[in-house]
Amino acid sequence: MKNLLKSAAMATGVVAFAASAQADGHLYGPFLVTVKGYQGDAKNSVSYTGQIARHVLHDSLKALSGGGNGKPNPDLKARLTSYFSGKEDGRAIVAPASKEGFPILQTTVKQISGKKNLSGKTYGGAVSGWPNNMTGAEVIAFWIDKAAAADGGYDMRHGYEYPQLISKFIMGAVFYNQVVDNYLDENLDADKKPNDQPYSKGAPYTGKEHSWDEAFGYFGAPAHALELTPQQVYDIAKRSPKALEAADRNGDGKVDLISEMTFGPAYYAASFDASVYGSSNETRYLHRIVKAFLDGRKLLADADGAKLTDAQRTTLKGHAATIEKAWQAVLAEAVFKYAGSAYKDLQAVQSVLDGKGDASKATRSYVHHWSELKGFSLALQTGRANLDETAVKLNRLIGYGPALANQSQVIGVNRDGAYLKGEGPTLGEYMLHMLKVQQLMVDAFGVQARVNDKLADIKGLAGKINAGGSAEND
Amino acid sequence: METSFADYLTAIGDAFLDPQKRVFVGYLGAAFVIAAVAFLISAGGNRRAGFAALRNRVLSPAIWWSPSARADYKLFAVNQALMLGLAPRLLSQVAVATLLFEQMHLLFGTRPSVGQALPGWAVVAAFTIVQFLLDDASRYLVHRLLHRSRFLWAFHEVHHSAETLTPMTVFRTHPVEGVLFALRAAIVHGAAIGGFVFFFGDKVDLATVLGANVFLFLFHAAGANLRHSHVPLSYGRVVERLLISPAQHQIHHSTAPAHVDSNFGSVLALWDRLGGTLRLAERGREIRFGLSDGPPVADHALWRLYLDPLRAAAGTLRRPRTPSLQEHAP
Repeated sequence: MKNLLKSAAMATGVVAFAASAQADGHLYGPFLVTVKGYQGDAKNSVSYTGQIARHVLHDSLKALSGGGNGKPNPDLKARLTSYFSGKEDGRAIVAPASKEGFPILQTTVKQISGKKNLSGKTYGGAVSGWPNNMTGAEVIAFWIDKAAAADGGYDMRHGYEYPQLISKFIMGAVFYNQVVDNYLDENLDADKKPNDQPYSKGAPYTGKEHSWDEAFGYFGAPAHALELTPQQVYDIAKRSPKALEAADRNGDGKVDLISEMTFGPAYYAASFDASVYGSSNETRYLHRIVKAFLDGRKLLADADGAKLTDAQRTTLKGHAATIEKAWQAVLAEAVFKYAGSAYKDLQAVQSVLDGKGDASKATRSYVHHWSELKGFSLALQTGRANLDETAVKLNRLIGYGPALANQSQVIGVNRDGAYLKGEGPTLGEYMLHMLKVQQLMVDAFGVQARVNDKLADIKGLAGKINAGGSAEND
Repeated sequence: METSFADYLTAIGDAFLDPQKRVFVGYLGAAFVIAAVAFLISAGGNRRAGFAALRNRVLSPAIWWSPSARADYKLFAVNQALMLGLAPRLLSQVAVATLLFEQMHLLFGTRPSVGQALPGWAVVAAFTIVQFLLDDASRYLVHRLLHRSRFLWAFHEVHHSAETLTPMTVFRTHPVEGVLFALRAAIVHGAAIGGFVFFFGDKVDLATVLGANVFLFLFHAAGANLRHSHVPLSYGRVVERLLISPAQHQIHHSTAPAHVDSNFGSVLALWDRLGGTLRLAERGREIRFGLSDGPPVADHALWRLYLDPLRAAAGTLRRPRTPSLQEHAP
């Protein structure tokens, strides 16, 4: 009997070990050190703390930029600027912070990584969807200046909610741009960050390994994302207590921001996957991206510190292309969704005005969703490829500011940084623009999830009426 | 190749399995039962006479396997393939609806909130009725045009060249006419959908039975297939001023000069009344079907049915007045 129990225990142990080994096969890290001639003590070559630090800076900046009271506030502006372009050690993690039922391990940015900022990694090209040909960093600095003096982050006169503009644009101008136009682009070439050299002197990771890890870090998925459903990944970002168990992979009772948290880009990918889960237009952006990252990392681990062969490079670039395409689609889905939200809000505003009521609440919701739309539409344009005519159409349809009820719209910014307003479209015309934005996302990016599809009613009805395409007489 | 043989087989199968279609097996069955009951009643309850009439007028191979009927089947088979390729390239309901929907935003300068006050059932009822009326009226108008226009008659003649009528005669249609009808459907349905969705949003829905507009379902279930049959089912002089009976449609197919250009309607007799083209059924009168009172056309060759209309239509463009075959009838 004792022997039987012993065998049973061993068998269970084997099964458990096998199960955990299989689970580890879905984990982004740890991976062994492959750098030839490495002298240090590190056992794990995976590292992307700098990127997580930037996620934390971004989340904190977003939270802080809604802190204005409507009057000029130099202290707030200084604080916002420190989270955007400063590198001070003392910066606290304003968001994501612990809350009841969701304890977070780190409380300061330095605990994750020191001397990091966002502005140094921001898209340096001209942002053509914003006035005056500003670079990405200049646009964000401009918005920070406005946010500090805005009431709760809102500028209702011109139709802006700065926390949304800043946050959604950073998701493109820093995270997306760094990944698709740097780490997964030039850094994969043979002459840059080679795999038979450490990334930097004495580092436990090769040039290619670290480039790849940093790209993964910018996506913002938990390292064990492939073990989770999109809904769980989404709930982790929301710091929902029901998601604590799913987040706490190492079971220490706290969520480690470095490897167990969900940040912006992954959060949005998960949100679309979760919203259409199990339906006919199901998407799998989160898993597709994370799996491509993981497969690429495994390839690099197998290369064992040697230069990549042509075949390996081709495969790796294939994974990079998968990531780029899916990430771009997530941004396009967000543009689609918020165009639909803005459309719905405009309907609500019109309804209130028709009833001679107070439209301020409905207008606030419109400004909120419009700012998300605008931020994401600019983010979409910070990728590797020039979007040409699609970008021109997108910017023209959305404009520099939302169409406001008195048929006015921001049409520019003067040399003093003040907004210029001019005649804008009617609410009906602008609603049509929102429809066209949705159509543009379908035509140019093939979006599938199509949340808030304002043309869905038409398609649904058309399906119920015989189209008469079978040459029938009467 | 975007479409495949499997798509073709599905299209063929759909004709009989989709309750939105005229020859859905359920509707065929209902038509058969109605015909049987009608013959039984007209035979004064004499079962033998009733079944004899059913055999001769509904089940006879002289009807189902006539050269004319065989041409119906071939046209059906070939047209399904043609339309499978053509249909995606034609103007769609969604395109028309979307265009109208979008343009109305500009026309109104906003999206009116008027629809929010109406209860859901009222919107559904209104849409179902309006869609049905627009569909029925446009069918009448296009059908009338197919007879009045020399150019279009060249193609519609194919349908009227049928000398025996079965439910499959509904598919005896030249592809050019098929395209015209598809365009009609796209424009009419698209306009109804686009207009209603603009005002009533997601409240708009179609009242359906088995997936078909409830009025269309009733029309089909009540024996629409008998329109193309040798069962002269009349609704009586009162009802025939409201609804087109199978007997009235058979008059439309009649070779008798007195019956020319009458009863263009599908469901409602209203349009024929307004247009002065309504003709009530004549009890006891035997009708011959086809293009002329002369001897039956022996040859229903498929290639002639497809190509002759092209030549004839081109001919109408060259000369100001090209008499139709029917007018040439002795």
